[in-house]
Amino acid sequence: MDNTTYVALSRQLVLRRELDVTANNIANMNTTGYKFEQLLVSPERGRPTFNDPIKTAAHFAFDKGIGRDFSQGTFLQTGNPYDLAIDGEGAFFVVNGANGNLYTRDGAFTVNNEGVLTTQNGLVVQGDGGGEIRLNPQYGEPTISPDGIVSQRAEDGAVRVGKIGVVRFGNLADLEKRGDNLFAATTNVPPVPATDARVRQGLLEASNVNAIAEITKLVEINRAYASVSKIIEQNQELNRTAVERLGRSA
Amino acid sequence: MRALRTATTGMSAQQMNVEVISNNIANMNTVGFKRQRAEFQDLLYQNVERMGAQSSETGTVVPTGIQVGAGVKTGSVYRIMTQGSPTRTENTYDIAIDGKGYFQILLPSGETAYTRAGNFAVNDQGQIVTKDGYLVQPNITIPQDTTDVSISKSGQVQVIQDGVTTPVVVGQLEIATFYNEAGLEAIGDNLFLESGASGPANIATPGEIGYGTLMQHYVEASNVDAVSEITALIVAQRAYEMNSKVITTADEMLSVASQLRS
Repeated sequence: MDNTTYVALSRQLVLRRELDVTANNIANMNTTGYKFEQLLVSPERGRPTFNDPIKTAAHFAFDKGIGRDFSQGTFLQTGNPYDLAIDGEGAFFVVNGANGNLYTRDGAFTVNNEGVLTTQNGLVVQGDGGGEIRLNPQYGEPTISPDGIVSQRAEDGAVRVGKIGVVRFGNLADLEKRGDNLFAATTNVPPVPATDARVRQGLLEASNVNAIAEITKLVEINRAYASVSKIIEQNQELNRTAVERLGRSA
Repeated sequence: MRALRTATTGMSAQQMNVEVISNNIANMNTVGFKRQRAEFQDLLYQNVERMGAQSSETGTVVPTGIQVGAGVKTGSVYRIMTQGSPTRTENTYDIAIDGKGYFQILLPSGETAYTRAGNFAVNDQGQIVTKDGYLVQPNITIPQDTTDVSISKSGQVQVIQDGVTTPVVVGQLEIATFYNEAGLEAIGDNLFLESGASGPANIATPGEIGYGTLMQHYVEASNVDAVSEITALIVAQRAYEMNSKVITTADEMLSVASQLRS
């Protein structure tokens, strides 16, 4: 095998992974708070093959990482008082996972059988500075202000029951996806309260997947894969002809 | 090829979405019906290259890493318990709840079910029952010679009997609330059962703090909004189509690979 085939194969492997990433984006087109991802591909200078007399350097296609677009998704009105959306890029709700805090933009919350605010999976939503938010079942539905203050109406006016914690990370690349719309921090740098982010009640944040861009990417991947295959074929054809002609003259 | 399976999860999720939406639309005119919403979550991620891992001996660190997701799943289908609009019917035994609360219904099995569908009637013994004939709790019997029944905002049932000018109190309706209404278990026929997720029922008379008031001659319409359901249906259908495109693309790529001559 020579450089051409290896370079072509590296590109095909990367294209397959790009297809996997795009497929995941499209599958999560209606997932609340989902942020779309893209494979970062760069040329990697490789060692030329041993039997290459001219020693041409080969540049392989290499996927060096995944890029997440944390831009704001559009708001979807549900009218449910327990549905919350964050208006502010890169800010997250804090929930209590099995091993420490997890972070999410999916604010489709509910209360459990004790009146504590939780996610749909039952993880407790953390208040500002930690701790749960416990609603009083005696009073009506909660009102949540843009700065995250949760209050309920009692006999003698509004009662504050807590403040929803909304945090921000210095570097969004420190976050790792955990599934279930949750992110986990990979470093020990603590997040800081996101004072500029606003909490919107009765709304949910739709995913920021751009349907047209993803479908275009599908077409691109498909065509690129086919043309790289063509290169492999042509290269083999070239080899075959060369062997035939050289064999004849020998 | 992972993309094939990923797109399959996407298609089945959208199918679930359409099922939920179609149930909402089918129940658009069901008294006391509360619309549902399917909530989707991303599936597990495979760490191809872990972020934060060392990339050289000098201690450089992989800044982003590669995580490839495996698709989507339905996280939950939850009920949105907002108030439906009250509709006037003029029927004596139609009662709507304005605010929080559920009527208690005694099932033939002896269990108590809860409902917001207050389109009641009386049976042959004068007891207030649901359309299926189940007794409304606490049970109230309307005397035979009644000419008029009035139910107050706070659930007091008064009757005017033949030849009597002053109204007589024959009973007091009570309603139940829950910590988590969305956690109630729907059993059909507009009825719900208490569940581990809903918490226990707290019973009180209508109009107390945290409880709704009653409206006689009204029923509560469903809280389904036709326009937003149809919009959601369009979105779900398009998403389904796009996932099928992924399958086509993956299939085409596989066929290109298999046609490579050696």
